[in-house]
Amino acid sequence: MLDKKAWLVAQREVLENVRTKAFWIGIFMFPLILTLAIVVPAWLENTKSARLYTVVDQSGWLLDAVDQQAALPDLEKVFNHVMELQADDPSAFEALPDELRQTAKQLEAALAFVANQKPDLDPEEVRTKVVEGFAATISGLSGPRGEALRKWVPAEAMAELEKLRDAVRDWWQALPADEADAFGGAVTKDRYVRVDAPADLEGDALLTELGQKVMDEELFAYMVIDEDPVHAGTAVRYVSANLTDDDLKNWFGDLATSVVRERRLAEKEIDPQVAQWVQEPLKIEMRKAGSDGDEEVDAQARIRQWAPAVFVYLLWVAVFSISQMLLTNTIEEKSNRIMEVLLSSISPLQLMVGKIGGIALTGLTMVTAWVLFFVAVVKGLPLVMDLDMEFDLSEIAADPFFLASFVAYFLFGYLFYAAVLVAIGSVCNSLKEAQNLMAPVSVLLMVPLMTLVPITQDPNGSLAKLLSFVPPFTPFVMMNRAAGPPAMWEYLATTGLLIVSVGLVMWAAAKVFRIGILMTGKPPKPSEIIRWIRVPVGAVPERKD
Amino acid sequence: MESSLKLDGVTKRFGAVTAVDAVSLDIPKGSIYGFLGQNGAGKTTTIRMIMSIIYPDEGSIQVLGSSSSEAVKDRLGYLPEEKGLYKKMTAGEILTYFGRLKGMGRGDAKRRAKELLQQYGLGEWVDQKCETLSKGMGQKVQVLGTLIHDPELVILDEPFSGLDPVNVELMRDIILSMKRQGRTVIFSTHMMTQAEQLCDSIFLIHKGRKVLDGSLAEVKASGDRGILIDYDGDGATLQGLPGVARVNDSGKQAEIYLNEGTDPQEILRRLVDSKLTVRRFDLREPSLHEVFVRAVGAESTLEASADAR
Repeated sequence: MLDKKAWLVAQREVLENVRTKAFWIGIFMFPLILTLAIVVPAWLENTKSARLYTVVDQSGWLLDAVDQQAALPDLEKVFNHVMELQADDPSAFEALPDELRQTAKQLEAALAFVANQKPDLDPEEVRTKVVEGFAATISGLSGPRGEALRKWVPAEAMAELEKLRDAVRDWWQALPADEADAFGGAVTKDRYVRVDAPADLEGDALLTELGQKVMDEELFAYMVIDEDPVHAGTAVRYVSANLTDDDLKNWFGDLATSVVRERRLAEKEIDPQVAQWVQEPLKIEMRKAGSDGDEEVDAQARIRQWAPAVFVYLLWVAVFSISQMLLTNTIEEKSNRIMEVLLSSISPLQLMVGKIGGIALTGLTMVTAWVLFFVAVVKGLPLVMDLDMEFDLSEIAADPFFLASFVAYFLFGYLFYAAVLVAIGSVCNSLKEAQNLMAPVSVLLMVPLMTLVPITQDPNGSLAKLLSFVPPFTPFVMMNRAAGPPAMWEYLATTGLLIVSVGLVMWAAAKVFRIGILMTGKPPKPSEIIRWIRVPVGAVPERKD
Repeated sequence: MESSLKLDGVTKRFGAVTAVDAVSLDIPKGSIYGFLGQNGAGKTTTIRMIMSIIYPDEGSIQVLGSSSSEAVKDRLGYLPEEKGLYKKMTAGEILTYFGRLKGMGRGDAKRRAKELLQQYGLGEWVDQKCETLSKGMGQKVQVLGTLIHDPELVILDEPFSGLDPVNVELMRDIILSMKRQGRTVIFSTHMMTQAEQLCDSIFLIHKGRKVLDGSLAEVKASGDRGILIDYDGDGATLQGLPGVARVNDSGKQAEIYLNEGTDPQEILRRLVDSKLTVRRFDLREPSLHEVFVRAVGAESTLEASADAR
């Protein structure tokens, strides 16, 4: 039926919609939201202002130990960053302080040595352990962290590293907090900045003074460490005006806990490695059953399971908004009385097919743009800026079957609801009248949203399987199950059923449309509409008013 | 004469209501044909059946020699009673669109749209959106839409409704020029004066039934002659004149129809003697209005005269 005149109608629809603001907002809203969802949290994390705090250490040792602990992850980041620069960006590397360049060279040499001596070790693991070990050595921590370093690296090389230790430590301690993140990004040194307590005050006077500073917002918080934190009931008192933001408390608390734990182990003469082994949680390996036996599931696969839910929601938004566009359009055409002029040139069927087709093209343009934007954002954004993405979406972006099925399910889902909505639009004279008839359709459309979570969790469960075979839900539910994935026969059977029912709904819609578009006055009841579907083409059914 | 449109026993029912009842018509090529009747008489239903927008329950319709207008849609122009344009399209675009829907090529339709708009004084509106057009201009654009594809038969449903006198004049010119170009024009109206001035033939429909049809001269000749006067004074005087059957009094003008055997000279004499100042006295054929009122009966006189204004 896609003849020349229907094509003309379709062209006009596309042109008209492409000229509206709503269309462009629809196209750009999604990539905008996607980009914001990725960028804003990262940006917020980076822009949190520094937390100034003061610690009154009555124990005399805990604070120093915490400082050492705190420096460890920061230094690891700095060393990794420096080694990356050495490999990738020689000019930036040359601009670094001499201590750091020396450290990087020594580390590189140590790594090369280990790789040569123990080729069976995982180079990534070696790298992590060596860098961690050196960071621990520099920050002054003893214990298991330095062990790997001493075990692998020969004594002469260790001696070279030891020589650098003081120089690097001094450099790090002298480095102003706000310059610290230039070396490898999110370090804690610039987030939590310790301010020394006034030296001339003591006891209650000191605490009063610190309390005043907290009130004046000069300090975010101050802490008092007990004389004997290893045995005290309450080891640290934390005083702040803002108790909802407890990042600082948690950060400091975690570091202090690990230090005190080592002390306690030493006191009871427990080997730290034994303690670590005792505390180690059981490792549970997740495997996915498959035809070739089971296979291991990693974090990526679990993300894959949830990602379709996001796409179901997108699909839902697209189907709903695009078929709504068709409804509005049809009602507008009816209320501005242009229908009859059109019908003097084309048949109602040509008009309906043209309208549905034109808006389908509009919708496909939008959805295809979304898919392209999605791929562009997920692939492109990490190139432009440094991102630590919680969800690695790149695997989905690289899955053409998944993206193609998204577009296809949009098309079928749209066609199904378009037929229903164009019929509703044809019998109504205003959007307000259409609201009443839309109510059952809206309820129907709520179902895929309500089953979103249960189906995501159990993509091959009986609920999922059952709903796959209900045509109005098929596109959403099958999309939702993509992580399953459903068996090929299910894809074929549900899609076949969907196509057949789209055909049936279109046929019924054509009959209602033909009568409805010329009708004025109050809209018919659903029972009346069903009667229209059964009368032969061309008849005008009697109306009971 | 070759006929453009032929209706044979066409009937259409909407439930219990018979909207059009066994209407037969033969409309010759090249004429201006008026469909007259009150609101709800069945004019629009008849026209919609001619356009194949709805189908008759009984009877047959022959348009331009074809048994259904669907086959000859591209040779017909149609202005429906309910008129509208796409608000967001420009006048040029919408005419082009209408032309293309009638099978014209893109370039052809575009060129012709521009030509028509210029020809009828809307040249500067080619690129203006329809929502900025006044009602009269909008209606003009729509009428041009019925012409763009050079149709043989143009059907206009209530082309004069809602137009101011200047635009009524313009519409009349457009219809006359259509006739000069050799097209057959059918238009419906409930305004008798428009029909009287324009039509070659008329078709009078009342409550779904054909009351009469034929050339204007024939139709008028079938009625009694009457007297048209222009006057100043109290119109009640007219009602009391002896020998007068009916008076259609419009305040400053009145039609007087006489009982059989009354001498018009006698009426003239009495009018001169009365307190009225008579400015014109014209013995002539009955007006279409009078023919209409006679034909449909006295019960609709009030409605009809209300419509006539």
